[in-house]
Amino acid sequence: MQLRSHKSFFSSLAQPALPPHEARKCPLLRLHHRDVVAAAETTTAVLAARDITKTFREGAEEVSVLKGVSMELHPGEIVALEGPSGSGKTTLLSILGCILTPSDGELVIAGQTVDRERPEKLPAIRKQSIGFVFQQFNLFPALTAVENVEYALNVKGVAGRDARTEAERVLEAVGLAERKHFLPRDMSGGQKQRVAVARALAGRPPILLADEPTANLDSHVGMQVLEMFRDLAKQENRALLIVTHDPKVRTVSDRVLHIQDGRLV
Amino acid sequence: MAVDLARKNLLHDKLRFFITVMGVAFAVTLVFVQVGLFLGLLSNATVVIEHVNADLWITSKNTPNIDFSHTFPESYVERVKSVPGVANAENLILAFMQVSLPSGAQEGVEIYALKNFHDWNLPWNYSGNVDDLRRGPYFMLDDSAVKRFGPFEVGDYREILDNRMQVIGKTHGALSFTTTPLAFMEFDRMQAFSPTTLRNRTSYILVKVAPGADIEQVRREIQSRLPFNDVWTSKEWAARSRNYWVQSTGLGLNMILTVFLGILVGVVVVAQTLYTSTMEHLKEFGTVKAIGGSNGDIYKILAEQAVISAIAGFAVGSAFAYGLKPLMAKVALHLIIPQAFLGVVLIGTVAMCLAASMLSFRKIASLDPALVFRA
Repeated sequence: MQLRSHKSFFSSLAQPALPPHEARKCPLLRLHHRDVVAAAETTTAVLAARDITKTFREGAEEVSVLKGVSMELHPGEIVALEGPSGSGKTTLLSILGCILTPSDGELVIAGQTVDRERPEKLPAIRKQSIGFVFQQFNLFPALTAVENVEYALNVKGVAGRDARTEAERVLEAVGLAERKHFLPRDMSGGQKQRVAVARALAGRPPILLADEPTANLDSHVGMQVLEMFRDLAKQENRALLIVTHDPKVRTVSDRVLHIQDGRLV
Repeated sequence: MAVDLARKNLLHDKLRFFITVMGVAFAVTLVFVQVGLFLGLLSNATVVIEHVNADLWITSKNTPNIDFSHTFPESYVERVKSVPGVANAENLILAFMQVSLPSGAQEGVEIYALKNFHDWNLPWNYSGNVDDLRRGPYFMLDDSAVKRFGPFEVGDYREILDNRMQVIGKTHGALSFTTTPLAFMEFDRMQAFSPTTLRNRTSYILVKVAPGADIEQVRREIQSRLPFNDVWTSKEWAARSRNYWVQSTGLGLNMILTVFLGILVGVVVVAQTLYTSTMEHLKEFGTVKAIGGSNGDIYKILAEQAVISAIAGFAVGSAFAYGLKPLMAKVALHLIIPQAFLGVVLIGTVAMCLAASMLSFRKIASLDPALVFRA
């Protein structure tokens, strides 16, 4: 818990992958943030963001939503990203998920530097390296559970028997093997979110990004989903970033990042 | 085999799919009925030309179509017969006359008059004996006349220009573009009916070219001997008659406009339903983009939905049109749907629906996948 109370930017960078007792004596805490990032790049960071800024134009005005965010995600690491509304959480998630390009800064996803001048390259990176879980589940209502997962695999370029086998594997992993032929309308909120988790896991992307995954679930079911998600991410060595307001998420996270006014604090 | 999101999404909302298909079907039916009726009418305009066993038709100068004939001296036929390569030539009169009906009313009738009906396969579908036409005041009447003249039977009498004439046979399928009933009568009797206009005159000369003779050469020779007439091959004469009705009466334009309106209705219905559907599935399309799908992936979904709607609409529309055929035949309207036209309409329907789906493409191109994060 001590780690989570750190207020400095550098401490938030130092938290990844380090248990609290090690973090306390971490020499990185005493380094300049660029050194920290450089050091992190030499490790196995699967996602590295450096000095990310994002500015939107609103009429004649420019609004700066992110003001130099740097962070890393490592395989098997679960990170919670908290912050009040309007703090830039969703914008940061969109940039880390290669949905938006940053205005400035550097982003490296699974060893691939994202070229912010070439947004047309983003879908390929998303396809290859990122799995999403959304607050509203965003399942395709016309597709059954297994088809929802299979379709995501089709988009990633996996088709036929391979796609079906993988879809069934992940549905079994989230405990929905029995309900694989159910349409979303016939499933509970928790089950829908499990399908969404299965869809994110399918194709084994190294990075999983979840946006308020428990917001539409009751407390008990939300906790179940989080624990399952954590276990699967750990088991399959995926990096998981959860954007949340939900305090329960802290209990499954290795570390917590806090964003306020476009900066990690 | 990939998951067919396009088809599943389309069929998931059955009511919307039904409305889309009905919209397309309506457009397809409209096009088939309009064009089919028009083709039916056009075939009426040339049905006699197509059945008459003549290679060449000699008409007065600039006769626009078979129904609007003008007369010229009947003796010209002798000049034609003397042309090398002509196997047979005969005068044919076509004239509009008045028939007095038992009700006291008068109706128009279009009479074809020949001496040797057998030689020219005229009429081509009839009951009775066509040779009897020369044996007295007899005529044959097409059974389509029932609509205008009322019921009639073989043996009944009708007055044509105050001459009492007996019906000695019924023909079938002898029609005119003007829907005036057709009748068949002996040549000399016809001339006698209207001596001021028809004595020693004819409307057409039918020509049969001898086997092995060059039709073009025979035609040129006849033309040189009859410089104040036109000489047409049967095909040209049929085309000229058709073109007259298409171009000179505004019917062609009318048909084009109706077909255009049908297509417009189809495009609007399909575009509207596909666009509404796209708007309702925007978040799903955003999800497709978020999981790595490109605009192209979504365009494919929309295009596939358009093609499915087009094919289903085409099938239903064609079935409607074919279902209407016998019903329309009962009121003497002939719906002609050639096989090739089916193919043209199918391709047109698919193109129409694809064009309509492109309205949604613009929305997709500007779709921000970040909307998936909005609650």
